[in-house]
Amino acid sequence: MNNNHSQDQETPVVAGFEVPRSPDASYNNVYTASEDDGRDPPVVPQHLQHTVLSYPTNGGLATPLPDPQHVVLNHLYIENREAPRSVVALGFSHRFRAKFVNVVLYKPVQRRGSANT
Amino acid sequence: MIPRFPETPGISGDSMEIDGDPFHHSEPVPKILQADVDLSRHRISVFLSTHTAYELLPESGKVVALDVSLPVKQAFHILYEQGISVAPLWDHTVGRFVGILSPLDFILILRELGNHGSDLTEEELETHAISAWKEGKLQLTRKFDGNGSLHPRRLIEAGPHDSLKEVALKLLQNKVASVPIISHDGTVPQLLHLASLTGVLKCICRHFKHSPASLPILQQPICSIPLGTWVPKIGESNGRPFAMLRPNASLSDALSLLVQAEVSAVPIVDDNDSLLDIYSRSDITALAKDRAYAQIHLNELSIHQALQLTQEASATYGFFNGQRCHMCLRSDPLHKVMDRLAIPGVRRLVIVEAGSKRVEGIISLTDLFKFLLG
Repeated sequence: MNNNHSQDQETPVVAGFEVPRSPDASYNNVYTASEDDGRDPPVVPQHLQHTVLSYPTNGGLATPLPDPQHVVLNHLYIENREAPRSVVALGFSHRFRAKFVNVVLYKPVQRRGSANT
Repeated sequence: MIPRFPETPGISGDSMEIDGDPFHHSEPVPKILQADVDLSRHRISVFLSTHTAYELLPESGKVVALDVSLPVKQAFHILYEQGISVAPLWDHTVGRFVGILSPLDFILILRELGNHGSDLTEEELETHAISAWKEGKLQLTRKFDGNGSLHPRRLIEAGPHDSLKEVALKLLQNKVASVPIISHDGTVPQLLHLASLTGVLKCICRHFKHSPASLPILQQPICSIPLGTWVPKIGESNGRPFAMLRPNASLSDALSLLVQAEVSAVPIVDDNDSLLDIYSRSDITALAKDRAYAQIHLNELSIHQALQLTQEASATYGFFNGQRCHMCLRSDPLHKVMDRLAIPGVRRLVIVEAGSKRVEGIISLTDLFKFLLG
């Protein structure tokens, strides 16, 4: 970049204090198409792992349920169980006014090939 | 219904279970003032009318619902695994909550299984959906109670903006233990919380904790208040007997009492009528352990064995159920009774004699609210 422009103005230039030119090497960087791009981005943001839904309900006894983090609100979760299962648990946390509600619904799993009644 | 206050030291029972005739103590009992009762009732009524069901919600609460097309057997396993005894039912075909699955359902199913004349078999439980069970239940329950209206088909629910008084009255008038709080603000009904009288009582206790003088009846011993169901003294005539059982009684006797006598729990006593344990409707979900209900015949399983299953259930899933029987003395003041009943999971206190633990009576949440709401 040319800084001679400043010398065209009225400000006096003090010898020895001129602004140096940027080194050419700083504009010759190779584009980093590095190994990082070989990996796929995460399927799901990592913070979504911190769900409160796995905690036992327990009727509000000794340890109350912790507040879910705001980043996991309004996301639908499915329970992680072994494959042959007839019931699946779906859950999500949402905010109702100033409180948090964590709802879990248990649904039967439709077996493949069976007719939906 | 205004309770009577006789001049002599004695009380009349005012509860849903039995009507006790006045009975006499050997020691004098302070007389309760009608003015105190009215003032306390008025203040509680004002509090309940000016606070909403939203206050019952915890800061972060978990609530479990079941799809109504789930087979009954799966449903009870889920209730057992989650450590809950009651769950609202969701019907996706109509897009709303349609009912509640409660321990009473399980008790009725167990009795049907044992009933050789019935169509319900254990294999069918694997495919019998909750919705189908509820359809058939109406016919069953009509056999037990004279008035079929005890088990209405429509869901009893409350909204988050309903007053606490409305919630309490709904629970009392419909004789249910839980009512779901459902919000219809959005496009889909949102289940927020399962409310019970415990939650309402907790709100009351929290509010009046720092001004006990505003509720004068709190200091009165419970024996002076027409509250609860008391074991009748010898020589008194009575309507229905006080329900108690020995540990070697069969489970089917206990279940019959729980269904027909319209009580939610039966004290288990030894030969001296001393309290050993208590069997309540919600203990029935422990039978889901290891499919115990399939292997047992209700007549052959004793209450003692059934209680052991309940204790094992608590140990397996690590639920801290705390003490099983909560007790109090006849001389305990009302505020102590209220604080104990406000503990989650405690629905009734057994009144015992100091030292011997002889059962003298029972005070349930329902009794308390019927008295407080007049």
